[in-house]
Amino acid sequence: MLATSNQEVEVQLVEVTKRFGDVTAVESVSFTVHKGEFFSLLGPSGCGKTTTLRLIGGFEFPDTGEVYLNGRPMGRIPPNRRETNMVFQRLALFPHYSVFENVAFGLRMKRVPEAEIRRRVTTVLEMVQMSGFETRRITELSGGQQQRVALARALVNNPRVLLLDEPLSSLDLKLRLQMQEELKRLQRDLGTTFIYVTHDQGEALAMSDRIGIMNNGRLLQVGSPMEIYEHPSTPFVASFIGDTNLIQGSVDFVDEEVTAITASGLHLLVKRAGWETPGDQVYVCIRPERILMNSDRETGNVLHGKIQERLFKGHFVQYRIHVGPFTLQTTIPYGGSNRIFGMGEEVTISWDPHQAVLLQADEEGRNFDGYSPSRRDERAERTASTR
Amino acid sequence: MRIQGLLAVWFLAPALGIMTIFYLIPLGVYLLNGFHLFQSGKIVPIWTLRTFGSFFQDPFSYRVIGTSLSLSTVVTLLDVALGYPIAYALHTRVKSPGIRALIGLLLFSPLLVSVVVRTYGWFILLANQGLINALLKNAGIISQPLPLLFNTWGVIISLAHILLPFSIFPIYSIMTRMDPTLKEAARDLGANWWKAFTQITLPLTMPGVITAILICFTLALSAFVTPQLLGGGRIQVLPLTVYNNTVEINWPTGAVAGFTLLLLSITAIWIINAILRRLPSI
Repeated sequence: MLATSNQEVEVQLVEVTKRFGDVTAVESVSFTVHKGEFFSLLGPSGCGKTTTLRLIGGFEFPDTGEVYLNGRPMGRIPPNRRETNMVFQRLALFPHYSVFENVAFGLRMKRVPEAEIRRRVTTVLEMVQMSGFETRRITELSGGQQQRVALARALVNNPRVLLLDEPLSSLDLKLRLQMQEELKRLQRDLGTTFIYVTHDQGEALAMSDRIGIMNNGRLLQVGSPMEIYEHPSTPFVASFIGDTNLIQGSVDFVDEEVTAITASGLHLLVKRAGWETPGDQVYVCIRPERILMNSDRETGNVLHGKIQERLFKGHFVQYRIHVGPFTLQTTIPYGGSNRIFGMGEEVTISWDPHQAVLLQADEEGRNFDGYSPSRRDERAERTASTR
Repeated sequence: MRIQGLLAVWFLAPALGIMTIFYLIPLGVYLLNGFHLFQSGKIVPIWTLRTFGSFFQDPFSYRVIGTSLSLSTVVTLLDVALGYPIAYALHTRVKSPGIRALIGLLLFSPLLVSVVVRTYGWFILLANQGLINALLKNAGIISQPLPLLFNTWGVIISLAHILLPFSIFPIYSIMTRMDPTLKEAARDLGANWWKAFTQITLPLTMPGVITAILICFTLALSAFVTPQLLGGGRIQVLPLTVYNNTVEINWPTGAVAGFTLLLLSITAIWIINAILRRLPSI
């Protein structure tokens, strides 16, 4: 399933734990990153992804566990003696140096001959399309230009691993999308291993070969963007990657291929996961675009609902539909033969049980406050109806 | 806009009034005496530059100016050399804000004690039978007491002590404003601790150092009580010349010395500000 052909391990974390006082920032995290891979750590703020990156870079040292770079245990080796370079979230360009001197800094520290410094800095500035800016001061550059200089300053050292800590978060949307493409192109051309920290799932999905999803200091799932989208391992992952409907219920019975769920009076079928037994508390995860509306190909789960909200998003239309005690979200491509449904319209929705995923409503799933199961808030409902 | 302008005038008026009535006018009146003459124990109110002439022809005046400048320079260098590491340690090593505030208060506390009380405190420490000499003798480091009182050393030690907070706080303040990831970036790019310090931290905290130099130098230059008491009359600096001449009713010579002091301070401020403008801002 890996997008990279080269399976040589570049970075490996084994049971790494890091505490700050009473707070466990990273808890028993293990994963490997292959040579030349674009690996993203994705999670909400405070999930431990930046700390994990800093542990790899040598800015923090693990309390327990070990970080391996190219097979070597890193122990307490400081950042200046690791073959990694970091692009910082706040960029951290040196304000008292010119663009050239900023980029040359790493080479000067390694006592590279002046002629070679000149050549390598010129090349890397070309690569990030910043030629001609050599003598400029950092304060004279725009946000996007500073971004490129920060990237050049790290890349000029030919690091084994480039660590990127939300480097695009300060840019506006259009520039961010453009930089995403450029980063991806650079990474492909150079073949450098990238470890990219972000809280933006769109960014991670678009750029990464593989993604590691973190929450509360734990690594929940590692996989390719499609694997994670298709087979999220927890309700949190399902709701964090893409839009999703999470329907809470309990297992009725388990058949050979499908499992029957009862969710507040609704009876649903879902592809059998294997671990479930009758009585288990579970979530059914169904992506909005997998739900059909008033379709003649109704199969599996067929439910009746009423359209509560309609949002036109350009290339698709998003509906919120009340189905029994749940509010389900659907998206239908705009145009073609698809009709637009009206507010309050009664509709039949359906989905193939094999398009839905059964998830365990485990301790962790229940504790997380960032995802929204599709059950309607009764109080909000009453307030809305009295208006 | 106009209302704001009027408001500003009203807000500034009390301060400007006090400064003018109680500072600028008396200073001007006193300094005008420099253009008079002092003869046979009396001020002769004629307009002349002869007092300036005789002051700047007297080699003693240059000794006084030299002592003033060198004393202030040594005190300033000492304070920056001591203040920078203290500020650095306070910023980087003291993690708890409570302890940091406590240390800050401790460093600031000399300023809460009257200058006279503090100076007599130094007598107890620096005298031949004082604490420092006793300790050094008991430790077997010296056999004869070091002369620390009524000479340049005592004045330097005491002035450096009282002016130390003025060196620590501007440097500490600029350190707290520096982006800590700059140091990490330097380390990440292969700099060891020393390189990161000399290439990044030190240049970027220079504005704080310059400010510290400015404050320490001008305060040391105008210090009066400490050189007077701890110098025991043997350390002649410009403020003392002003004072001694004034009490001897020789206002013209005092005024000329005062002019010289003012000119030196303004020149120092001007030079230091010129340096400050050339430094990169962080």
